[in-house]
Amino acid sequence: MRNRKRTGWHRYFNGVSLSTFLVVLFIGLPLYWMIISSFKSPVNLTVDPPQYFPHPLSVSNYKYAFVTYDFGIYFRNSLIITVIATGLVLVMGTLAGYALGRLPMRGKFTLLVVLLMISVFPEIALIAPLYLLLRHLDWLNSYQALIIPYAAFNLPFAIWILRNYMLGIPKEMEETGRIDGASPLRTVWSIILPQALPGIFTAGIFCFTACWTEFLMALTFNISNNFRTIPVGISQFGTPDITPYATIFSAAVVATVPIGILVFIFRKFVISGLTSGAVKG
Amino acid sequence: MASVSTVTQQAPASAPLVGRHDVNRKRLARMGWAFAAPALIFVAGVTVFPILYSILMSLRNVTVSGSGFTMTGITGSNYSAVLGNSTWRYALAFTVIYTVITVFVELVLGTLIALVLERLTAGRGWMMALLLLPWSMITVINAELWGYIYEATYGVLQAMFQAVGLGHPNVLGTSTPAIASMMVADIWKTTPFVAIIVLAGLVMLPGDVYEAAEMDGSSGWSTFWRITVPLLRPTLALAVMFRVLQAFGLFDLPYVLTGGGPGTATTSLAVLGYDAMFKNLDFGGGAAVATSTALLVLLGCLLSLRTFRVQVGKEN
Repeated sequence: MRNRKRTGWHRYFNGVSLSTFLVVLFIGLPLYWMIISSFKSPVNLTVDPPQYFPHPLSVSNYKYAFVTYDFGIYFRNSLIITVIATGLVLVMGTLAGYALGRLPMRGKFTLLVVLLMISVFPEIALIAPLYLLLRHLDWLNSYQALIIPYAAFNLPFAIWILRNYMLGIPKEMEETGRIDGASPLRTVWSIILPQALPGIFTAGIFCFTACWTEFLMALTFNISNNFRTIPVGISQFGTPDITPYATIFSAAVVATVPIGILVFIFRKFVISGLTSGAVKG
Repeated sequence: MASVSTVTQQAPASAPLVGRHDVNRKRLARMGWAFAAPALIFVAGVTVFPILYSILMSLRNVTVSGSGFTMTGITGSNYSAVLGNSTWRYALAFTVIYTVITVFVELVLGTLIALVLERLTAGRGWMMALLLLPWSMITVINAELWGYIYEATYGVLQAMFQAVGLGHPNVLGTSTPAIASMMVADIWKTTPFVAIIVLAGLVMLPGDVYEAAEMDGSSGWSTFWRITVPLLRPTLALAVMFRVLQAFGLFDLPYVLTGGGPGTATTSLAVLGYDAMFKNLDFGGGAAVATSTALLVLLGCLLSLRTFRVQVGKEN
């Protein structure tokens, strides 16, 4: 059935292409709406019926986001926090993933189940004690206030993904290293690491996305203007009466581009993380 | 049973590096703990201890002042106050119903999308990239985007209703439409995630089973229900488990899109707990809400432990 040769227009207009088109519309239309709205002038943004093709195009909203609102600061904060947290997760996660994947440790199974449970635990349950602890340390409104919890919350899933990749590395490789008398850390560094690189990309992109998009902790721990991340910054744009959608969407486009590019470049690893890492286990 | 077989297939790969001597094995185990220690201690310090502390806090009278907070006595009053409160019962019912409906719709839509993409010969990579965009989007931005779409005077939704003569509804202003609108925003963002997981599961299904079914003259519909669905069950179970646990912590979307309203119509458990702690400074009550939510999630985890086990594989 599926291999039946189609001729003429049937080759292009069949159930599959029509459904694909519907999927593209379903996902694409809201995205289209966000992007064109970021180019509408504030006056045209609130006309009824709305402009479906904005005219004239305006980039003033982008200027507002960076000048009137401090989007530049939020972007910098998000970048610093996300990059450092992801780095911490990858270093600790690779070592732990190697240990839990390849070394004969007792109670490994229980540990992995507990880690999995932590990775799906609702953040709300931890907000209060962490808030009080951070306040006690005078760390509210600081980079470490988010770097530390972000790293801790994303480590379990990263360990899990990395451990699954480690399982697939042929064991002869590290035995060679051991016979050559290399130290354990050296073995991990020069033999395991290159092999586990796809897993590290996968864990990295998941951690990056999670930190980049996190809202609840950022809202609770870092509300002062100088330490807001992108989600908190955008949620605080405007006044209770006025929501400056044009500015919000220009900031949104700027915030979505880096993560979009990153996910596009590493899409192979994202998909393998959602699948082989998660499903095949 | 299909799930168990996936585990045994993994067994050779997951077999530990058994040394020729016990000494070697012990040495490797020690090394393992040394390597795992930084991560485990870090995770325990930042997650496990706060969980325990949160439970303790929910059982005591907590007073917050400018300089700090004090906890006195042991009390069940936080819980009795929470459990006896109709707002909490409503938030629980809302969160459960919201989770069930969105996850169900996402599962159906995600499976349909995956079935379409599986038959797609050209451009599947581009479709994957498109699917990943909503997944990687900041939820706050998603909420603002749909807030603009639903806006009552100049939003595109009311313009569409107007064009077909249905007046211009303020969907976020009334309870049931507000809940439904929020579900749509959520479904738009998370269906792609389900679709990708299901698609990956579909691609890995053995082709010969389908050939056999076709030879037996099985129709497409019955092939789907009798072969595809049972074989996909571990994949679907995993997707559902992740989505259910995630949806249960629902916070960003109602906080930004509706502020939990109109009234308390879209107040989820997480919004309720957050408001109790950081708007009303009732840390004991907030901790009770948070802890009861966590207990429900934990219960969910235990119920789906089988799925967890399949993920980890049987070792030791």
